Amino acid sequence: MKHILAVLLASVAIAAGTEVLAHHSFAAEFDASKAIRVTGTLTKVEWTNPHIYFYLDVKDDTGALVKWTCESASPGALSRRGFKRGDLKLGDTIVVDGYRAKNGSNMMDARRVTLADGRIVSGGSAGDGGPQ
Amino acid sequence: MIARLSRSTIALLIAGVAASAILTSAQERPLQEPDRKSTKPAPRTASGKPDLSGYWKGTRETKPGGNIGKDLPGWKLPLTPAGEAALTHNLTATIDPESLCILGGIPRHNASGLPFEILQGANKVAFLYWYSYFRLIPIDPKRKHSDDPEPSFFGEELGRWEGDTLVIDSIGFKDEKVWIDENANPHSDALHVVERWTRPDYDHVHVETLIEDSKFYTKPFTYSRTWVLGAPDEELQEYACSENNVDAAHLGFGPGPIRPDGTRGYIDPAPLPPPIPRTPNPSK
Repeated sequence: MKHILAVLLASVAIAAGTEVLAHHSFAAEFDASKAIRVTGTLTKVEWTNPHIYFYLDVKDDTGALVKWTCESASPGALSRRGFKRGDLKLGDTIVVDGYRAKNGSNMMDARRVTLADGRIVSGGSAGDGGPQ
Repeated sequence: MIARLSRSTIALLIAGVAASAILTSAQERPLQEPDRKSTKPAPRTASGKPDLSGYWKGTRETKPGGNIGKDLPGWKLPLTPAGEAALTHNLTATIDPESLCILGGIPRHNASGLPFEILQGANKVAFLYWYSYFRLIPIDPKRKHSDDPEPSFFGEELGRWEGDTLVIDSIGFKDEKVWIDENANPHSDALHVVERWTRPDYDHVHVETLIEDSKFYTKPFTYSRTWVLGAPDEELQEYACSENNVDAAHLGFGPGPIRPDGTRGYIDPAPLPPPIPRTPNPSK
């Protein structure tokens, strides 16, 4: 048991490294105090550098559709994690956990993405100073 | 103590690791690696000089990342009053130039966490960077700096060999839209950089960077760094930084908070909502 726990804790320590690899600082764009969950229908995907973007139609409290823009890491970074362009299918309902833009717009950092099939993928930019 | 951990505590730990695995499990090719020992000598070119060519990756031991004051006590840069004012300006009135797809230049690229590639020729050496940027440095001990070099992000760079050390001496830098590191520290057009590149063994390349800037810094200081060699099939890929820079319209000034460990980022962010438990697929 001790050995298993040591390995687990070591894994957490590795995952918590502070690499500086990102295109911009998390804090330059997003508010770390505004953690949110957005659930919506995928309407558009831009698998581009320096970040991928995907767009959701989200029902607000009144039932009206509101458009959200979700920013993730670069295509190369996501691919290295096994998150591929084909994982995002138009029309899918997906859940995005992340942080809202500081300017209050419907833009968010897609830190954790739950795909329609239930898989959870990491969407954040490693080393941008944001929550890992 | 470990033996007394409750089942729920262990479950939480495992859940935490599972969440971490989301980040790490598929990263077969991380952009940085732990340092390692080398058993092979540095390769040499036909002329007998060390061959610096290779795909170079930062090490996890390089801390704090992205901070040009890494080797100074408390990471405290010796700023002049003008340098302090320039730093304040960068923090409060400028967007990170790199996030706007402007060349990072030198010495910022030496403090970057991203891999880079060196291609060394007999009379010229090329440094290729992550965002599809490059610099070309002539290796010619007879060349002298211009009287009034055209300002640029990498400066007017002159290379020469001193024994097994490739020395790159650079002046003629821009003083607008430049951050000297990820933390928005400044440099002026008086910047003078002397890089001393060596390949101590097959698996490592090393630089000693001397930074002089009498306008913004009271005295010269150095930044040292070692990288490890990537796998033989690793190389830079296309990265068109300005392809779809949607974020540019949302970026604020400065890098945000600098943590006590010298890196940029928040100390205590709000936690994300808990992950959604994955339910078994009823069709299977």
